[in-house]
This record gives sequence, structure tokens and C-alpha cells, in this order.
Amino acid sequence: MSHESLEATVDPAKVDAWIAELGSEPSAAVPLLQAIQTEYGYLPRPAMEMVIKNTQINASQLFGVATFYAQFRMNPVGRNMIKVCHGTACHVQGADRINTSLNHALGITDEEEDTAPNGSYTVEDVACIGCCSLAPLMIIGDQTFGNLKGSDAQRHLKKHAREHNEVLPGHAEQEKQKKKNKPGQQTAKA
Amino acid sequence: MSGANLTVTVGEGTCGIAAGAKDIATQLKKRLPDATFRTVGCVGMCHQEVLVEIEDDSASYLWGKVDKKNIIKIVKFHKGEAPAPEEFLVRSTEKGDLAGGQYLSRQTRIALRNVGQLNATNIEQYKERDGYKAISKILSDGLTPEDVIEEVKVANIRGRGGAGFPAATKWAFARGAEGEVKYLVCNGDEGDPGAFMDRSLLEGDPHNVLEGMLIAAYAIGASKGYAYIRAEYPLAVEHFGKAIEDAKAAGLLGDNILGSDFSFDIKIKQGAGAFVCGEETALLASIEGERGMPRIRPPFPAIKGLFGMPTIIQNVETLSNMPWIILNGGEAYANIGTETSNGTKVFALAGAIARGGLVEVPMGMTIRELLEDIGGGSSTKYPLKAVQLGGPSGGCIPASMFDTPIDYESINATGAIMGSGGLVVMDEKSCMVDIAKYFLEFTQLESCGKCTSCRVGTVRMREILTRICDGEGTMEDIDNLETLAEQIKSSSLCGLGQTAPNPVLTTLKYFRDEYIAHVKEQKCPAAVCKGLITHTIIQKDCTGCTLCKKYCPVDCIEGELKKPETWVIDQEVCINCGMCVEVCAPDCILVA
Repeated sequence: MSHESLEATVDPAKVDAWIAELGSEPSAAVPLLQAIQTEYGYLPRPAMEMVIKNTQINASQLFGVATFYAQFRMNPVGRNMIKVCHGTACHVQGADRINTSLNHALGITDEEEDTAPNGSYTVEDVACIGCCSLAPLMIIGDQTFGNLKGSDAQRHLKKHAREHNEVLPGHAEQEKQKKKNKPGQQTAKA
Repeated sequence: MSGANLTVTVGEGTCGIAAGAKDIATQLKKRLPDATFRTVGCVGMCHQEVLVEIEDDSASYLWGKVDKKNIIKIVKFHKGEAPAPEEFLVRSTEKGDLAGGQYLSRQTRIALRNVGQLNATNIEQYKERDGYKAISKILSDGLTPEDVIEEVKVANIRGRGGAGFPAATKWAFARGAEGEVKYLVCNGDEGDPGAFMDRSLLEGDPHNVLEGMLIAAYAIGASKGYAYIRAEYPLAVEHFGKAIEDAKAAGLLGDNILGSDFSFDIKIKQGAGAFVCGEETALLASIEGERGMPRIRPPFPAIKGLFGMPTIIQNVETLSNMPWIILNGGEAYANIGTETSNGTKVFALAGAIARGGLVEVPMGMTIRELLEDIGGGSSTKYPLKAVQLGGPSGGCIPASMFDTPIDYESINATGAIMGSGGLVVMDEKSCMVDIAKYFLEFTQLESCGKCTSCRVGTVRMREILTRICDGEGTMEDIDNLETLAEQIKSSSLCGLGQTAPNPVLTTLKYFRDEYIAHVKEQKCPAAVCKGLITHTIIQKDCTGCTLCKKYCPVDCIEGELKKPETWVIDQEVCINCGMCVEVCAPDCILVA
């Protein structure tokens, strides 16, 4: 599934400003890519091309670096980011279930895909963020949630979605299905 | 009373904030408007977050697990309106250690001495605790760089990043090397999953790390420094950046430090997420703007490093010990620990442990003392099975060997490594084959691809482990794992490849029966590996609450409300994700 609507429009003046601030020598490659990604959430092609044109960094170095480090991504992201920690402590305490649970709610069914079909959320697996005593944990936007069960992850996601006027495609679909299958039946209180 | 006589200290490290410290601080300010508020870094008792210390005129009280509910009781107590809610009291002047047990009293805190005690971004508070006295002593007493190296040599401190190379030896090389400029790099690229020592040090006491850098720079004659910090640690980057600014303003960084002819400047470089960058030559490549791929040594970085100049790369924790060593003397440091492993080591205790967090202990303490006296044993109803030390480069040490003392030689003899200090505790519910697979997946993804044996070998090992976890492995696979492991170890250029097979080798050594159970009996003894387990509902314990159905991602559970006898899981569809087990209140789902 592609998310063309999520492609960012690159402001050339901004890219120029970053080059002026961070330098144009080869050692500026990582900081420049970090500046671009911080702004757009990923590395838009036009921004990369500007860097290649206006600095001493050539295409092979820039793309080499961009594809080497885990921080950089080449595809657009959803309107909100969710980071799921996969450090050792989180792994042994069920981090995988958080992904299963979030993907379920977001309607992400393809293993290669990390963004909800409606572009609302992107779920990213990250290496250890160093809060191992709160494992397993995830970050939605800038809020961290620890000691999670899969069901807690969904609860926090739903709350976040309500507060940010986002629709969770997976859940909407599921609720619809439920109503169709069992008219009038109530689910027991959680 | 509104708390005019009270001083309230809230721990706001990354884990404190993640646990909700900022909200708690806001609430306390509302309830105790006249109290004095302080913010400190993480004291290391992560299992007790949110931590709040409240001092009145005569005593101090450390409250743990403070939340929106118990905060009311705590405030009432301090207003003299109610008795102390003792179940949340971690420590008090009157009663000593309570909920924390011997968590703090069994530690020897040198690198961590200020962490959790001061406001990390306030240079004055660091100065009040003997901050910048070590560098002043060096500069005003006219200690030569050789004197400093000698003191560090007497301390016999070994690099705390994992390899354990003696710091003084490295410094002496760089001191003697020729170069127009020399560089000092602080390695804060803590990539080990399950480790957060460097994060806490950089967040909780950045000036101490900075002073350590000054001492090392002076000793080797470096004029430029880099602090390479993971981008995943935004608070560490922020605090260290503030420390650099404040130190410059105070004349402690920049040209002619404290009026001497020693000049040194530091730039922060943010890592971009590559485990291999913890390897020193890969880290240098990364600072130079390249892919983080290791380079052939020699020449060693101490002779020809960053931009071709002599460079010393030293871990955050190693540097954090330096101010203490200069002020208290190398001998005092060497007196702590064992004969060959001197001083202390910081560990990040995590996993199935009751009191997890950051601890600093003298070398030579046994794993058991660390886990039981400090960590309080298992956090679950299951006994402990193993500890994983050293992350993806380390190994698993079984419970039968918990009396092993923590020093470089004894730990290496087990097949694990000391590593940087990540210590993940596992109980009987952890599958050791799954752990081995987890680490192999990690190293395979992080392999930079330079050496064929690491690039391809880790993929093959991962495939074999996946087969075994899926119940499709053969006994020959187990032998092949061992052969591959030896080949990768002996033919990789850098530490990542040379140590990547360690998690597999140690689990094979100590938990071979688990591998055999996966292959021969098609059984995962810990009931973890998804390909070898099933989930079934025990109908006699079921209440028919429907919660499992609600959370099942593949809609494989069916049944009617309040009719336990109707509930079944469709085994054809079930993916064994375990969501139902987590939400099931009567615990009626059998995993076997």
C-alpha cells in the first residue's frame, strides 16, 4: 500500500539553512540527514537531491549513510508516530504482543507495512530506549507508556486517537462486523 | 499548612518521566504550594518510580511508586493530618531502608555518586559536591599529564564499555603519539538492548562526565573532543548540551581553562542508530560522516584515529570515575574490588527482578548477592533461571553459577562477557533458544556487512534458530550452529562479529537440553516458541466474560456470554500471540 498523500512538500529554503548551519563537508552527512528527518519524519527525495547538489557530499555517500543507520527512513510516515521498544527486557516481557495488538487496532495486516491504511499512525520498532524497568513499553507522540499488556497498548492508543481526532481503521471495521453479526447483544463489562 | 517547611525532590530521569513524574510534580506543587521543589536525575531505583523525597525540619522520607491515588495520603501525612502510608515508604531517616531493602546500602557509588542527588543541569550544585575540583587540582597544583596517567595507572581502571582495556595504557599511547591535533571521544553510543548506564550518567550528572573528559584530554594532550550520544536519548543530549554551555560560561571549557594554557572544546555528535558504532573505529567513521563500518587495526586510533589524528575513545562510565580517582587517589580506587578487576561496575538490572534499576557495586561481588541482596530476587512467581550479561556480545549464565564473582576473568571464564553492564534477569518462563534467536536477529540486522563470515554467517545461524523454534530443526542443525559460531568468531574483523555467536554458544553450553527438547520432542519447555505451543480454554475455570474474544487479533475465539461450556479456540486460525492469556482474569487459558 502506498501513502502518496503523506509525501511531504520540501521547502528549499529550509534545506539551504541547514546546510549553512551544519556545513557542507562530508562529515556533515549524518547531522544533515537528522535535520531533514526531524522536520519531515522521513527523508524526502527532493531534500536528498538538494543536499547532493549543494554540498561536497555525493549521492553514494548520502544514500549509503541514509540506508545504513536505523534512524533514517525513506518512506513517509503517518500523522502520528508510535515507537515500540524491542530491547531485551521488553522482548522477554512480551513486546511482540504490543505490536500484534496495535496492528490489530490499526488494521495493519501486511508484515512489510508499518503505517495504518488511513495514514493515522505509523508503528516503528526501536532498539532499546533504556527504560528497561518499565518493560515492555511504547511511546505515542511524546508520551511514554510502560509495564504494558497488549490490551493496555490498545487502550492508550484509543485514548490518543480520541484526543487527536483520528479514526482507528482496524477497530472501526471490527465494531461494524460485531454489530452486523450479533444485533442487540451486549458485551460483558471489561 | 501548605508545606512551607518542606523540600520536595522529584526524580525526573527518562524512566521517571515515563512513569509520570512530571504529572506527579505538578500535582504536588498544587497541593503543597509553599514547599521548595527540586528536580534530580534518576537515583536508579527504577522499580520504585515515581520517586519523591520529602524532607521536613527533622527527617526525610523517600516515597516510591507515587501515583495519583497515594499522593493524597502522602500529602496528608506531611500536613500532619494522617499517619504515614508506610507501604509506599522506601526509606526514611527514622526507619532506614524499607521497601528498597539493601538496594542502596549494598552499593558503592563512585561513578553514580551524584546521580539522583543533584539537579543535573545546575552547575553550582555539581560544584558544591566537589565538582570541577579534580581538574582545578590538576591545573593549579601543576600536575603533569604524566602524573595524571600515573594516577589512573595506579587505579588500574579498565575500560567500562565492554572490552576492559586498561585506560592508562591507552592514554600513554596517545600521549606519545605525534599529531597536530589530538581528539578525545566520549563513547555514549550505548547500543546494548537492556543497558541504560550511560543514559543515566549523561542525564543525571553530565558535569561529572564532562570533567572526566577534561581530565582525559589533559592527560593525552587533546584539544578537541566529541561526545557521541545516541539520538534515542534526547534528555541526555539536552542535559549534556546544557553542561557544555554552562562549563564554557564558567571558564571550565574552551580556551585557557581556569587561566592555564590548557584548551579543550567539546562538540556533541548524535548517533543515528547503529549498534556497531559502539566499536571504536566504526564510531570514528560515523563522526566523519561515513557508514559506521569498522576499520582494520593497526594503526590503532591512539596513533591514527579521527581524521587521521591520534584519538582516544573512552566510555561514559570510565570517564565518570576519573574525577573521583584524581581527588581520592588511584590507590583508594584500586583498593576496591579484586586483584585484577579494580573499582566498581555499574549495572542496569532489568527483566524478571523485583528491584530493577541502576546499581553500582564493587567488583568481586557475586551474581547471587547482586540479584538477591540488591535486586530482591525474582519478580514473578517463578524461580530465576539465568542472567544475560553483556547483551548481544555476551551470554547467559545459569542459576547454578550465580556464585560466580563479578570480575573480568571469572565472567569471561563462563563464556559471557562483563560487557557494558546490561544485566537482564530471566525466570523459568523464558525460553533460552528464543533468547539466542532474539540476539542473533539483533546482530544479524546490525552487522555492517563488511566481513562475509559475519554478514552471511549470522543469517545462516538465524535461519537455523528459527527452524528450531518452529519445531523444524534437526540434531545436525545444533552441530552446525556450533561450527558456524566458531567460524564467525575467528574470521570477523571487529568485536561485533567476534562476539555475535556468544549468546548461542553459552545457551548451547548451559541449556543444551532445551535445544534438544525443541528438536526431538517438538516442545518448548518454557512455552514461549509460537510454533510449538497451543492455547486452549479450560472451560471449568472460564466465566464466559468474552474479554479474550474482544482482544483476539485473528478472531479465533468463539463462545456465548456467561456460558463457559461454549468457549473454544479455533486452533487452525490461532497465531499463539498470547493476547488472550494477558486479559483472562480467571487465568483459564492453558499454554502448552
